[in-house]
Amino acid sequence: MPKTITEQNLHLLVDALLREGKRVVGPKRAGTVTLYEPLRRGEELSLDELPRRSAKETFFPVCESILSYEKREGRMTVRDVDLSRLPESVLIAARSCDAAAPGILDAVFSWDYHDEFYLERRRRTVIIGLACTTADDACFCTAVGLSPAATQGSDLFLTPLAGGGYACAVVTEKGEALLTAHAGLFAEAESIEALPPAEPAAAPLDLKRIKAWLDANFEHPFWGSIAERCAGCGACAFLCPACHCFDISDEGSETKGERRKHWDACGFGKFTNHASGHNPRDVQPQRYRNRIMHKFKYYDDKFGLTLCTGCGRCIRACPVGIDIAAVLDEINSKP
Amino acid sequence: MTNTASSIEQSVLIAPAVYEAATATIRAEAARLLSEGSVAAVIGYVPGRRAGTAMPAVVTDAEAAQQLVFSPACVNNLTLFLTKAKKEVRKKGRLAIVAKGCDLKALAGLIGESQLKREEIVVIGVVCAGVYGAAADRRAPLSSASLARKCRECSVHVPEGVDLLAGTLPELPRLDPLEAAELARLEAMTPAERWAFWKEQFSRCVRCLACRQVCPFCYCEQCLCDRNRPQAVESTPRPAGNTAWHIVRAMHLAGRCAGCAECERVCPMDIPLNLLNRKMAKELKALYGHEAGLEPKEKGPLAEYREDDDQSFIK
Ligand code: SF4
Ligand code: SF4
Ligand code: SF4
Ligand code: SF4
Ligand code: SF4
Repeated sequence: MPKTITEQNLHLLVDALLREGKRVVGPKRAGTVTLYEPLRRGEELSLDELPRRSAKETFFPVCESILSYEKREGRMTVRDVDLSRLPESVLIAARSCDAAAPGILDAVFSWDYHDEFYLERRRRTVIIGLACTTADDACFCTAVGLSPAATQGSDLFLTPLAGGGYACAVVTEKGEALLTAHAGLFAEAESIEALPPAEPAAAPLDLKRIKAWLDANFEHPFWGSIAERCAGCGACAFLCPACHCFDISDEGSETKGERRKHWDACGFGKFTNHASGHNPRDVQPQRYRNRIMHKFKYYDDKFGLTLCTGCGRCIRACPVGIDIAAVLDEINSKP
Repeated sequence: MTNTASSIEQSVLIAPAVYEAATATIRAEAARLLSEGSVAAVIGYVPGRRAGTAMPAVVTDAEAAQQLVFSPACVNNLTLFLTKAKKEVRKKGRLAIVAKGCDLKALAGLIGESQLKREEIVVIGVVCAGVYGAAADRRAPLSSASLARKCRECSVHVPEGVDLLAGTLPELPRLDPLEAAELARLEAMTPAERWAFWKEQFSRCVRCLACRQVCPFCYCEQCLCDRNRPQAVESTPRPAGNTAWHIVRAMHLAGRCAGCAECERVCPMDIPLNLLNRKMAKELKALYGHEAGLEPKEKGPLAEYREDDDQSFIK
């Protein structure tokens, strides 16, 4: 029989997890926007809109310290971050497009180099997904093989019900364990009436065909025509659940400071600037081309995966109206 | 909502016909300039795929000029494409540009800073009744409720000193200046309250640098904030770096900022950056009698020394 949970019990679930000492991250109002942030109590959950930034920061923070150093009486001490002290976490109410992303990112963070900062957070986190019941005209998850009700990447999955509350489906063992531990907050229903999932208008893209075009058209006037307007900011990459470039900076003084890992973006003019002064991607169209190539060709070449979940965030945020769904559509329809 | 002034105001539509007339003139003039060969490209707007969106376009042939539009979705300040941040565009040759009154201030500023010569460009000025604000429902026609904040205080609906003018101005509703009210609210705060306000705002900044990348005056090829040897401003999105970034930017733009509010519009974290710009503009007016405006000026107040400058802050 399907499990259900009321809105109020969902809040109580958050409170119970917090009492256990877990970090609970979920959509929360921050000024005029909603962001996935650590919750202080269940009531802070705010589920009506897609958070402005994706949930990737649960695993890959905007900025984190990876070591610290201090010089005292001529002796330098370098201290690693103690990863065993990272909290057990629950990411709650991650939309399908966000819940699916960490599974895609695992490939790159555990490839030749194992990024323990990311991987340790992944190991310690349970993801509770949430189906979308509304979509706007930037959403295109259905075009890249996901859907507003896709459970991919979730451990438990919530579906809003017509009469209020949520159906809660078990997807993995991790999810099962969490549900069993809090069984008292869930009810069993004979039957459920789920709200209909959102229906993004986007038609499925032929990702194989797109890749084949990318394979053959590294040099093409198309790049200039779409990307000339690109302003070279990081808005698209920073909001994206799948973009994962970072930079490492040492900050502090000669005697005390930290080494920090923080988000970076291939759109930035300095991203590929060499120490010699040479910049192999010296104009913006080449940088935008890299964004598309990385998502729909290189990541596929290397890991057999597409680096986009169709959340539409980059489309909504782009200052100059570059619309990745329109770009893909255009490539899809090229001879 | 009750029948208050604001609900009456919400029902005020901004005449859509003016945009259609402007669109027709822009298309005709752009096609003419391109087919005559007097310009190599026209920088204008074309519609986006999504309802109520438009985007910048660099149009190089008369046929493509038929796609140009002017609508309430034409929010961008296109003078960005005339700066050296957009070298690819300048390389095409002589350019024409579609410009709203508020964007012309940036053009004047760029000319004043020797980034551009007036005679190098053809300005298609567009009569503008307003554009959509960030949170507007773009499927609905523009109304006073969905208008950008800057447009509520606009004094340049009809641009002057342009080569061609597109559109005629309809009668416009009188609107309360929300941005001035917000600035007054901040000014009335104690320094501690104001600090708390900005600290909270800056805490959301992820340093995506969209604010910098769309600003026509952020054309420096080497931004101080990108330097890492030595690092001048922490480049990580943490409180120290974020505060430093916003202070550096406000100071660097003081007296130069044309008030187009693009930095605020593009901030994906909804940080009200134009309040900083406007505050700086107000201070510069009070201290130096300087206003960034429609006349190119060779030197801004912070790039020039005058005997009668206020020295009272030197202790
Ligand atoms: S590329 Fe754009 S649509 Fe795709 S996942 Fe990233 S932000 Fe979302
Ligand atoms: S595509 Fe848009 S959001 Fe992305 S770097 Fe270019 S201007 Fe910025
Ligand atoms: S400020 Fe004036 S000119 Fe600028 S977009 Fe608004 S109404 Fe148009
Ligand atoms: S656009 Fe907003 S989030 Fe991005 S750097 Fe500027 S203030 Fe920060
Ligand atoms: S600082 Fe902002 S408002 Fe001023 S010119 Fe630059 S983008 Fe426009």
